[in-house]
Amino acid sequence: MHVDIQKQGAFASALIKLSPGDEFVSDAGAMYRCSTNVDIDVTTKSRGSGGFFGGLKRLLSGETFFLSTYRITDSNVGEVGIAPTHMGEIWAIEMDGSVDWMCAGGSYLGSTPGLQLDTEFQGFKGFFSGEAPFFVRVSGRGTLLVAAFGRISEQNLDGDMIIDTGHVVAFEDTMEYKLSKAGSSWFQSFLAGEGIVLDFEGAGKILTQSQNLKDFGKDLGPRLPPR
Amino acid sequence: MQFEIVGNPDYGELKVVLDVGDVVLAEAGAMSRMSGGLEMQSRMMGGFLQAIARKLVGGESLFVGEYTAKEEPGYVAFAPGVPGCVQHRKLNGDSLILTAGAFMACTPDINLKPVFGGFKALFSGEGAFYLEASGKGELFFNGYGGVIEKEIDGEYIVDTGHVVAWEPSLDYQITGMGGWKQTLFSGEGLVLRFSGQGKIWVQTRTMGNMAGWLRKYC
Repeated sequence: MHVDIQKQGAFASALIKLSPGDEFVSDAGAMYRCSTNVDIDVTTKSRGSGGFFGGLKRLLSGETFFLSTYRITDSNVGEVGIAPTHMGEIWAIEMDGSVDWMCAGGSYLGSTPGLQLDTEFQGFKGFFSGEAPFFVRVSGRGTLLVAAFGRISEQNLDGDMIIDTGHVVAFEDTMEYKLSKAGSSWFQSFLAGEGIVLDFEGAGKILTQSQNLKDFGKDLGPRLPPR
Repeated sequence: MQFEIVGNPDYGELKVVLDVGDVVLAEAGAMSRMSGGLEMQSRMMGGFLQAIARKLVGGESLFVGEYTAKEEPGYVAFAPGVPGCVQHRKLNGDSLILTAGAFMACTPDINLKPVFGGFKALFSGEGAFYLEASGKGELFFNGYGGVIEKEIDGEYIVDTGHVVAWEPSLDYQITGMGGWKQTLFSGEGLVLRFSGQGKIWVQTRTMGNMAGWLRKYC
């Protein structure tokens, strides 16, 4: 299997070359082209991600309910092209099994079958943050694809950092993190438009996105005529 | 005439340098800047009826802008209405099928004709009519997102809404993706199944998906 990121930038997509026996999993609806020897199976779960309840939890985390699994149906090689809805980069994360990654706010795009997906509830504070209070935990060995709104940059944390929840794409589960307020009080944070932030502490990688999708929607939506 | 595409894949635009006597045509509204000496006229390409048909069914404007360097050389730049890739294709008597909105610019010996795509086109997500570009010259088209060229020999599947252009040596069918479960729940719904030998251009995003997401903010 080979994963190739094409047209990196605002309109990145991923092309996955599959050999017989290979599988690839993606968010349902992300496939935009494929060879005819590729079969799609639709499930509410990938391995270890908890069946129907897993699907339901994923829905709450801003992901789609279903996952698509792609397989080759004959003895030839095949390919699947995968793209997200929004403008932005796609990054491939190579996971060696030692560290789990957490995907926030619908950033999970796809993964090789050796990776398990699980959804984790972040507590009730998350509901008020305006962001999805669930993260998708990815564990195991393989390649993980994450999609962002805008440009992705990597923060190598050693210490302490506060990031707006709307700008977190994914992070290594090696740090302590909690949902918190940005200002000195909840009221201050609310006035500054920074409701809830993620407060990270420790050492690890965090991928952040340059733009906040929800802010973009809130800016653009009210300019449209009412339905 | 010299031309250059700059800014791909995110914000592609086309720059054209015209010698005296050169003419270039572009989708109405595509001109972003030009030198003062150029003459611009709007005209209905291929005559009134074809232009009307193109407007009504092809999703293109009734008029195209005609830019002529009459007395002095000049410069004109065209930018598509949506961000993404601008593609160039030289036609040498062959033709190319463009989906609605994909046409951007061409030299004067290219003809654009609306073609009814048949019943299946209603489900293609690309509009019921296509534009067939034929003749000899330079053709420029664009997509929303990255535009990827793919050589097909046999069969290939593309999700509805992602097709920008294809060579007429290819044919397609509208099908479901796998069985009924996949068609309903894979999020792919109907797909275009191309067959034959030739090239296809696909875009990595769709305005439809973007608009669908935006609805929850209206």
